[in-house]
Amino acid sequence: MLIIGLIGAAGLGFLYVRFFIQRRTPIRYAVSSVAAVGGASVTPFAMGQCGFAPETTGVDRLLAYGLMAVGAAVALVIVRSFFDRRDGLSNESDAFAGEIRSGGYRMGWWVPWVLLAPTLAILVVFLYTPAIQTFTLSTRLTRLGAPRSVDVCFRNFSELLVAEPWRLVAYPLIAIGLVYGARFWLSRTSPGTWSRRGADLATIAAALSVFIALYAMFSPGGGGNVDFRAVYLTTVIISVGVVVVGMTLGLAVAYLAYRSLRGGSAYRTLLIWPYAISPAVAGVLFFMIFDPTAGIFTHAMESWFGIDVPNYRESTLLAQTAIILASSWKILGYNILFYLAGFQSVSLDQVEAAVIDGASPWQRFVKVVWPGLSPITFFLLVTNLTYAFFEIYATIDFMTKGAPAGDTSVAIYEIIRIGVNNGDLGRGAAQSVLLFIAVIGITLWQFRTSGRRVTYGGA
Amino acid sequence: MMGFNPGVRKRTWFRGRDWPYHIALIVTALGIAFPLLYATLIATQNNTEIFSFKMTPGSALASNFESVWFKRDFAGAMWNSTQQALYVTTGKTVLSLMAGLAFVYFKFRGKWLVFFLVLVTLMMPTEVMILAMFRLVSGFGWQDTMASIVVPFLASATGAFLFRQHFSNMPVELLEASQIDGATPVKFLTRVLIPLSWNVIAALFVIQFVYTWNMFLWPSLIIRDESAQVTQVALQTLTNIDGALTYGPLMLSAIIASVPPAVVFLLMQKPFMSGFALGQDK
Amino acid sequence: MKHRLLILLTILAMVAAACGDDSSTETTAAGDQPATTQAPDTATTAAPATTAGGGGEAINIDFWVAFSDEARLGFSEEKAAAFNAKHPEYNVEVTSFASYNDAFDAAVLAVDSGEPPEIIHFFEAATRQALDAVDASGNPIFKSVTDAIGGRTDILGEPVVLDDVVDAARNYYTVDGSFYSMPWNTSTTVMFNNMDILNAAGITEPPATWGEVEAACEAIAALPDGPSACITWPNHSWFVEQSLGQQGELLGNNDNGRSDRATEVYLTSDGMLNYVNWWKGLSDSGYYTYTGLQRDWDGTSNAYLAEEVAMLIYSSSDTTFFDTNASFTNQASFMPYNENVDYVGNLIGGATLWMLDGMDAAQEDGALAFLNFFSNPENAAEWHQITGYIPITKTAEAQLVADGWYEESPNSKVASDQLAAAENTPASLGALLGNFVGIRDIITGAIEDILVNDVDVTERLTQANEEANRSLSEYEQLFGG
Repeated sequence: MLIIGLIGAAGLGFLYVRFFIQRRTPIRYAVSSVAAVGGASVTPFAMGQCGFAPETTGVDRLLAYGLMAVGAAVALVIVRSFFDRRDGLSNESDAFAGEIRSGGYRMGWWVPWVLLAPTLAILVVFLYTPAIQTFTLSTRLTRLGAPRSVDVCFRNFSELLVAEPWRLVAYPLIAIGLVYGARFWLSRTSPGTWSRRGADLATIAAALSVFIALYAMFSPGGGGNVDFRAVYLTTVIISVGVVVVGMTLGLAVAYLAYRSLRGGSAYRTLLIWPYAISPAVAGVLFFMIFDPTAGIFTHAMESWFGIDVPNYRESTLLAQTAIILASSWKILGYNILFYLAGFQSVSLDQVEAAVIDGASPWQRFVKVVWPGLSPITFFLLVTNLTYAFFEIYATIDFMTKGAPAGDTSVAIYEIIRIGVNNGDLGRGAAQSVLLFIAVIGITLWQFRTSGRRVTYGGA
Repeated sequence: MMGFNPGVRKRTWFRGRDWPYHIALIVTALGIAFPLLYATLIATQNNTEIFSFKMTPGSALASNFESVWFKRDFAGAMWNSTQQALYVTTGKTVLSLMAGLAFVYFKFRGKWLVFFLVLVTLMMPTEVMILAMFRLVSGFGWQDTMASIVVPFLASATGAFLFRQHFSNMPVELLEASQIDGATPVKFLTRVLIPLSWNVIAALFVIQFVYTWNMFLWPSLIIRDESAQVTQVALQTLTNIDGALTYGPLMLSAIIASVPPAVVFLLMQKPFMSGFALGQDK
Repeated sequence: MKHRLLILLTILAMVAAACGDDSSTETTAAGDQPATTQAPDTATTAAPATTAGGGGEAINIDFWVAFSDEARLGFSEEKAAAFNAKHPEYNVEVTSFASYNDAFDAAVLAVDSGEPPEIIHFFEAATRQALDAVDASGNPIFKSVTDAIGGRTDILGEPVVLDDVVDAARNYYTVDGSFYSMPWNTSTTVMFNNMDILNAAGITEPPATWGEVEAACEAIAALPDGPSACITWPNHSWFVEQSLGQQGELLGNNDNGRSDRATEVYLTSDGMLNYVNWWKGLSDSGYYTYTGLQRDWDGTSNAYLAEEVAMLIYSSSDTTFFDTNASFTNQASFMPYNENVDYVGNLIGGATLWMLDGMDAAQEDGALAFLNFFSNPENAAEWHQITGYIPITKTAEAQLVADGWYEESPNSKVASDQLAAAENTPASLGALLGNFVGIRDIITGAIEDILVNDVDVTERLTQANEEANRSLSEYEQLFGG
């Protein structure tokens, strides 16, 4: 079984040179193939080839091949950068290269190392080490304080995925196919035509299909396994809810507050202060508002409108709405702050031109302001998403603790529930790895799209 | 570089009267403040008053404060949080300044690797590796110590890149002048760079202070001893003061817990805004 | 290579600095904390150095308590201070934890890093795990209190009270013939009744059976100005276990894990289905109100005090609290049982004090003396009076009878009476399971799903059963013999 994977890797290396490298020599074909085989064999040998042991399932083997493919791909990327450098085609961005070459202090070689040592030491000990340990933990069955632990290979992962390997291959391929199809269609149409509108719709549908494909790839639970589809769905609903509600309100309020008014800075302070409030306190405040026994919300609905609101923790819709509201409220100040700053980068000349053209305020906003805000919107999208992934843990812990029946238990909440409260470190780590992959995906997307490397407000 | 004071702009996008905007802004500000105002009301009441939905200040503020601050030692938690936030903020600023200095003003072998190592940590939030980190840090025997909630957070890619970016926007002549003077890197940092970086330092200070003060998940795992607990987690035990859900003391402590970050944010708002505008425009 | 060495050295320096930093912050914390020393309760624990007096160093005994509320933590600190005053050569130092789970996790970590406390407060569900807990070299962490006492009748002048412990607690905590830990807070489930509402509905006695509860709820629902619901109790697995005990059903195999390690759990037994179906029926007809949170002691107790429900099934540990805080006639009664099945018995709940193995003789004797002092008749009686946990020794109980306490406070007697009425069978003793805490979460998770989402009871419990059995077998794989 392993041999098939390695031969496949060698083939991959060969094809890579054939299609992606401009100068092709026999040596390059050989180097590339060998590198791919080397990269592919890292994980199976590090894991004792457990993915191909007789008792493994199809999903286990698929994961083993998948990791080999990732290893090969990483090796090929490295090989390519080496070829490119020899061909004088270095694809390092100018900023990055300039960064590396800068610096004019003439002192001993050790001075910068001393300056960087504390930072590096902390990053290595408290970020890189636990990151690697998360991966090793995820292949084990282990508990806090247990005298032994058991190697379970990919089991912690295959439990989270659907049982049939073909689904794991087919669904992502279909989704990727749809995305590229929609892109292709979009590139063949021109603005304003019906065809373009159709292509726009197809793009949205393709984006949705990615979410749906992921949903279908996860395990529906049963047989003692966790219903990971539910965790995924909850995470998506709550994160999308927080991002959409928080950013829309943030933009609206910022638009309102951007006008020059007397007392403008006082207003701004009154609008952005929740930035300083913690997610835990947000949880406490909204816990009070929505409390079924003593909260103002239930009471007001009943005495003013005669509506008998059920306990929000018993209804999926209400519980998720309450969490989204509390979390959006907390992040609102942050969004307002950045949108206020973002408005400054919108060209005033263009706005005035639009005014002269007789554009209505709404048209002005859609045609001129919104496009001008797209960098800041994108930046906020990523930071809000990170917030919704991690920081709202405290809000959930104070309001619903994941109720009803796990419908507000987002990924990070579930990781703590399994890994700490249940003490099942291995399964918790496996879910952490999936979340890690999601974060890496989002960050790479951010790097590619914006090229900005500075993020604000995080760790 | 852009200022952050739209109030003084002469040209504007908007036409028409001001008063509808004043009203809209006041309503919005009140809406945003509602959860806090409501909590303030509850903080003054006892459970009987809360259950009868009294909408006027209650009679229990003093006793709520007494039970939260003294009997349950919320003061201790506030002190722990203060120490943590100050250690982390100071340490992070110093380490970030040093890293920024090294990145911008030094050329050395392996720089790309270091740069890459730091850059990659931007996509490694602590939360995704929290179980392994919990095992690691408790393996050091650090549970229930200040070290466990300070040391892991002393380094930050965000801080290092913020200063790197800020320094690289500074004129090159600064370095040349100080090299002629024979200044050591430490002197260069303290005499030249820091005085020119107060805005960025203030911005980083506000962000890190608020971030550290508001930390919840990590301390809730690594700190279990109540006397070493930080405010955000200590709030959890205040849901039950003497046998039942006690709303008043809980709201009061939530408000108290928000005072330090709010004060830091308000006091340093100006430099924060301008430092933040610097950070934004590349 | 040189670079790597440099990094390594810096790491070491940082670690050393951090450790040094830590100890210095602790001393400043003690010195700069006016608030702590002003609080009378904590003054004694905040200044251990002064209690040591002039005659040499006092032997320190760390005592971890999983309470953080005023009454319970306050009691522990007060008794520790009294012991320290009586035995100046010892210094018992109380550390407070927010919950049983927090204390348990912290203890596991502390053992791993070699700084465990001498006495630690574990809840009943952690009994199996405490017995299984081993240190890095594979030795058990805790020492049997019976073995440590070794037949002595007094230790450092404190009379041994272990032999005087009431049967319910003794039987629960006796594993493989040895009484491992010293019982402290022990309670059982009782029902609190708002007699004003029940009387208004024409019911004069608290309902005793499931059927009577339903009938009472029907009558209460018919009241024109009655409460919005009728009854509540926390969705805590302890109530499920109590009901299994009442119905004589086992939760785990091998006599509930008492004749040998339990390797299987039964979440689909008749008793389990009866109870959960009854529960769901009450919920569906609007009689039972769910607060929406698992293990929600505070929310349910609030609903009772705010008169949103007429009946509350709860722990007897809060009997005194309800007697003081209810603004209506509060009457305690036995936990309602299934009238279609022979009643077997309710079990205890609560926590015991475990003693660390490997102390030197002087320290161990100090710890033992403290444990016996802590539950001596006066202290045990006082503890019962301020909370509602049962008097843990027979002498304490007799003394309370003699003082006329039960006539003054009849609700306080219900818990002891209920436990005395129980047969001594494995079912009514309750289960000892590995990963019991995790299995309890699986049970309450399934019940929440059943209560809120209207899923099929048998199907959902079957699913929970699979989960729980997998969890148990994995625990046995890691910890079992």
